[in-house]
Amino acid sequence: MRSVLGFVAGRYLLGLRRRTHVAAVSAISFGAMALGAAALVVTLALLEGFQSTIRAQLAEAGTHAELRPRVGRALPEGDWLARLRKRHPELEVRASAGGAVWCLGPDGAVPAELEAVDTLSRIEVNRVLAARLGVGAGSEITIASPRLVLTPLGPVPTRRRVVVGIVNPVQPGDDRAVVFAPVSVGAALLDLGAPRRVVLRAKDPRQAWRVASVVQGEVPEGVEVVSFAALNRPLLAALALERAMIGFGVALVMVVAALNLLCNLALLAAEKRADVALLTALGMTPSRVRRLFLLLGLGVGALGGVLGTALGGVAAEVLDRTHALPLPRGVFIVSHVPFRVTPASVAIVLTVSLVAALLASIAPARAASRRDVLEGLRYE
Amino acid sequence: MGSLARITGCGMSDELVVAHGLRKGYGAGERRVEVLWGLDLAVAHGEMLAVVGPSGVGKSTLLHLLGLLDRPDAGELRLFGIDVAALSVDERARWRNRRIGFVFQFHALLPEFTLEENVAMPLLIAGEGHSTAFAAAAELIEEVGLGPRRSHFPDELSGGEQQRGSVARALVAKPELLLADEPTGNLDATNAEHLFGVLRQLHLSRRLTSVIVTHNEALAGRCGRTLRLTGATVEEACSKT
Repeated sequence: MRSVLGFVAGRYLLGLRRRTHVAAVSAISFGAMALGAAALVVTLALLEGFQSTIRAQLAEAGTHAELRPRVGRALPEGDWLARLRKRHPELEVRASAGGAVWCLGPDGAVPAELEAVDTLSRIEVNRVLAARLGVGAGSEITIASPRLVLTPLGPVPTRRRVVVGIVNPVQPGDDRAVVFAPVSVGAALLDLGAPRRVVLRAKDPRQAWRVASVVQGEVPEGVEVVSFAALNRPLLAALALERAMIGFGVALVMVVAALNLLCNLALLAAEKRADVALLTALGMTPSRVRRLFLLLGLGVGALGGVLGTALGGVAAEVLDRTHALPLPRGVFIVSHVPFRVTPASVAIVLTVSLVAALLASIAPARAASRRDVLEGLRYE
Repeated sequence: MGSLARITGCGMSDELVVAHGLRKGYGAGERRVEVLWGLDLAVAHGEMLAVVGPSGVGKSTLLHLLGLLDRPDAGELRLFGIDVAALSVDERARWRNRRIGFVFQFHALLPEFTLEENVAMPLLIAGEGHSTAFAAAAELIEEVGLGPRRSHFPDELSGGEQQRGSVARALVAKPELLLADEPTGNLDATNAEHLFGVLRQLHLSRRLTSVIVTHNEALAGRCGRTLRLTGATVEEACSKT
């Protein structure tokens, strides 16, 4: 059974019979809500596009989880690390110990952190160190430790000349200069002792967020598992804040559209006062008159929001797939402006449209339901 | 001074409408205007009462009180044996929907709906299904002689046709009481005659109790009883019908 409210509201919204100025203003309100929703969807898609790229880079280059001692500087002894490796072949498990060293290259001497990694068989430097030393894969560098040896010329630091095997990418925001070396090289330079931390990486970077929960139950007491989210908390929090604040700013467009809707509904209520009086005389209760106008507001606002969301979503997808907005190479990590429409952002926009339309409808609906019936019947 | 004489039906009993000392005025202070001064009235089941009188004397006000569109300042009004002062807003709306039929001088029909939709509207408001409501509407539209015009919009109908449509709508929910406020006020003599004929025929065939406010003395004379409001006094006359 179709509700009489839906029947009446539908007829008023379409306004096909009498092309009144209210019908035209309704169309403008509808367009404003649609435009607001579309702007919000495109903005959220743009933010999500950039931020998902940053998160992907983070997962590609960074640590997915880290095991640290809860107390002291060394991890507990035992074969738990070997068991962890055996049970999770999908994870790269790098136990490391190390300390501060100096690295010497063509561009001079640079203080760096040495990490002696049990799985490494060659020297790796990160991009920061490579840039500061002016070296690349295949270059020779010298690592000097603070451990002194006595020579006829007096005490001199222990040194090792090594060849750089590979240059590792760095996480955004990480400006530490790090050299990774096999344990044999590390032990020759520093007193390593037991591993101080274990770095875990999934071979599939998309699993980065799950790694901590996967190993959580398999480490001994005294070992703290630091998740991907916790390792990158400041950056992820900044991204979330950026998304929330820009989203909120653009959502103000919806508020303006909702105010337009409020004016439109007030006009509609004034134009239909005779109709409302007649419907009341025919037995429509004031509460149903109120619901009728809420329905009219939701009809304009929610449908406008749905249409705008759909249009914005399609526009964002097209812009992303056609690489319509290119970015200069070398400046950005992506070649074009990325857009990504997510179900969550669609749900946010639809909710904002619905709530804005509902809030905008309350006052006109209440006014329409409280209007004097007899005045309406006399009104021409 | 007031219209305090008790006005009863012409030899009829079993009263559907009973009013005692109805008072109604508008405005406040020095600007206040008293319209009804304490009206006593009784309308029996099946009676057709015409209410006549000069403009501003309270005819429409009386109709609005009887139709539960307004509340009296003082006095008692009983409809269908019940004191209406005790009814809630929703109950009054339900009575207007189911037990009372209205015919207005202006805004006979909702302009954005076809004649059929207009006539079905009270049943739709009552929550009836569309098929039931439209079947009942079609039947009444035939009865008032507008069958071929049922899918027309009000602005495609003449004034007389609109008012006949309005009568059909007033009766579609099978009310017991019909209230008409100058239903022929905007019509020429021929159309007024036609409309009155329809009203009278439906009044008889549906055993209605009708109160018709009119300026048309000739038509009023053809109602069972005429109530003449003249400000502070009320006169009553019975007709042979």
